[in-house]
Amino acid sequence: MKDKAQLKSPMDRRDFLRTCSTFVAGGVALASGGLLAAKASAKEGDVFWQIDPYKCTQCGRCETDCVLTVSAVKCFHANRVCGYCDLCGGYYRPNVKELNTAAENMMCPTGAIKREFVEEPYFEYTIDEALCTGCGKCVKGCTSFGNGSLFLQIDQEKCQQCNECAIAKVCPSDAIQRVSNAHAYKLKDHA
Amino acid sequence: MRKVLAIFIGFICSCRAWAVARFPKPDFTSGYQYPEIFHGAPNEWVWNILDVVLLVGMMSLVVWAAYKKRARAIIFSMSVVSVLYFGFFRSGCVCSVGSIQNVVTAVVNPDYHLPWYVLLVFLLPIVFALLFGRVFCSGVCPLGALQELVNVRNFRLSRAVSATLTMIPWVYLAFTILYAATRSQFLICRLDPFIGIFRLGGDLGVMTFGIVLLVMSIFVGRPFCQFLCPYGALLSVFSALSWKKLEITDKGCINCALCSVSCPVDAIRAPQSSRTKEERRKGVKRIILMAVLLPLLTLAGAVLVGSQSDALSLAHKDVYLYELLLEQEVHPEMEEPLEVETFHALGGDINELKAQVDDIRSDYRFYSYLAGALIGFVIGFKLLKLSLKRGRKTYEIDMARCTLCGKCFNYCPQSTSPRAGRTSPRAGRKSSLTANP
Repeated sequence: MKDKAQLKSPMDRRDFLRTCSTFVAGGVALASGGLLAAKASAKEGDVFWQIDPYKCTQCGRCETDCVLTVSAVKCFHANRVCGYCDLCGGYYRPNVKELNTAAENMMCPTGAIKREFVEEPYFEYTIDEALCTGCGKCVKGCTSFGNGSLFLQIDQEKCQQCNECAIAKVCPSDAIQRVSNAHAYKLKDHA
Repeated sequence: MRKVLAIFIGFICSCRAWAVARFPKPDFTSGYQYPEIFHGAPNEWVWNILDVVLLVGMMSLVVWAAYKKRARAIIFSMSVVSVLYFGFFRSGCVCSVGSIQNVVTAVVNPDYHLPWYVLLVFLLPIVFALLFGRVFCSGVCPLGALQELVNVRNFRLSRAVSATLTMIPWVYLAFTILYAATRSQFLICRLDPFIGIFRLGGDLGVMTFGIVLLVMSIFVGRPFCQFLCPYGALLSVFSALSWKKLEITDKGCINCALCSVSCPVDAIRAPQSSRTKEERRKGVKRIILMAVLLPLLTLAGAVLVGSQSDALSLAHKDVYLYELLLEQEVHPEMEEPLEVETFHALGGDINELKAQVDDIRSDYRFYSYLAGALIGFVIGFKLLKLSLKRGRKTYEIDMARCTLCGKCFNYCPQSTSPRAGRTSPRAGRKSSLTANP
C-alpha cells in the first residue's frame, strides 16, 4: 500500500513539472533568440578597431594599454603627406646638437625609423614595424613640427580584435573606433 | 607648467587643421616614386565561419560521446582540440562567455552592431544546454577545457561552502550586465583569467590570478567554471531544465558511490531514501519561510546595490572624467591628470559633459537596481532550492552542475563504456594484478 503510494504520485507530478519547465525554458530561449536575431545583422558592420588619426593626441597609452605585450598599435607613414625634410621632427629629438644617428639624437627609442637619402635635400622615412612599439613619440614630433605624415594606427594583422579594445577604454580623446572590413584602415593618404 | 602644456597641446591641435600645409610637397627631380605600402587586411569572417562550424561540430561530438558512446576519451580529446584551436590559435575573442556583454549591449542600445556570428556563439551553447545539458562547458569552451586538462585530484569542498561559492557567478553576471548595459566596460573580458595564458602575455594581476586558478584546478575540479563563470551560471539554468538528462549508467545504479567520488564538480547527488524523514510540518514551515524571504531578499538586493549606483558609475569613462574635473576645480594646485589635460586641450565643455554624466547616472540607477534585484533573487532562490529535500533512491546527476566530463562513466562498475568496471585507470591496472579470478 505504502509502496504503491510512493510509486504513483510524487514522481509523476515531478516529471510533469519538469516537462512543463523544459517547454517554458525552450519557449523563452526561442522567443529571446528570435528577438535577438532581429537585432543581429548579417550585413557587414563596424567590427575592426582603428584609431582616428585626426583625433589622436599621442598620449602614449597605446603603447602601454594594449592587451598584447608589444602593442598592436604601430606608427604608419603617409609618404604623400611627408615633406621629406632633412631636419625631421619625428626623426630627431628637439634641440639636438649634431644631426647624426647617435641614439641620444633619435626620437624613436627603438630605432624603428629608417631614413634614406633620395636627392638633395630630401630624405625618405620608413617605419620598421617589427621594431615599433607604438609609443607615438615620433608622431608627436611630426605632428607638432612637420606635416603630420607619421600617425599611430592599429595593425589589423596584429590586432586580436578584442571584444572591447583595452586602449579604447583609456584613450583620453576617444580616438579609437570600430570600422568595417571594407574600410579596415583609417589612413592619412588616400591616394 | 599646466598652462604651458595646455598651450602646447592647443598648438598641436590647431596644427591639425593645416597639418599638411606646413612643408610643401617635394618636387623630385630624380624620378623618385612614392613607395606603395600595403597593410594586412583582416580576414576574420573566414575564421568566424570556421569557429561556428567547429562550435556546433564539437558540441555534437560531445553529445554523441556522452549520451551514445559514454566515452570520456572522446570528450577529453575535444578538450585538447578546444584548448589548441579556440584557446591558443584563435586566442579568445569572441567567446561565448564574453558574448553575453555584446548581447546585453545590443538589447539596450539598438545602434550597437551585433554580428550574426556573435549571436550564434551566444545562442548555440544555450540551445545545446536546453537539449542535452552543459555540453559547451564540457569540451568546447577553452577556459573549461584548460582546467579539465590539468585536473588530477578532487578535494571535495563542503556542501555549504560550495553552495555559497556558486553565488559568485551570479553576482559576476549581475555586474557584467550592469556595466555592459551602461556601456561602461566589458567586465568579463577585463577579468578573463586564462586569456593571458592563451595569448602568452597580458595584464600581470589578471595573469597571476589565472595561474593561481590553474594551479587550484589541479586539486579542485574546474574552479573557474564552478565558482566564477557567469555564462556557466546562465547555462546551468537551461541545463537544469534540459530535454535529455544524462544518466551515469544505463544498467541500473547499484549505489556504490564511486561516481560521486569521481565527479570533479560535485554534480552527483547521493540517494536520500536511507535518511530519516523529517517531520512534514517542519518542512512546509521552512519552505513558506523561504518563499517569503525570496521577494524580501530581491528587494533588499535592489535597494543595496541601487543605493551604490553613483559610486558604481565611476566605472564609466565619462563619469570618471567628470569627477576628475570637479576634483581639479577644488584642488587646482594638483598635477593635471592626462584625461583632464586632453579634455581642456580639445576644448571640452564641462556643462555638456555634465548633461551626459547625468544621463549615464540615471541609467546606472535603473540598472543597478536591476542587478541588485537579480543578486537578491538568486540568493533567495538558492535558499529555497536548498531547503527542498528530494527523495532519491539512486545516485543522480544534477544537470545544473554537471559539465559532462564523463569521469563517472569510467568509474561506474555497471557502465557499458569500453573501460567498464575500472575504478580509475590506475586502480584498474592494479586490480588486474590482484584480482581474484
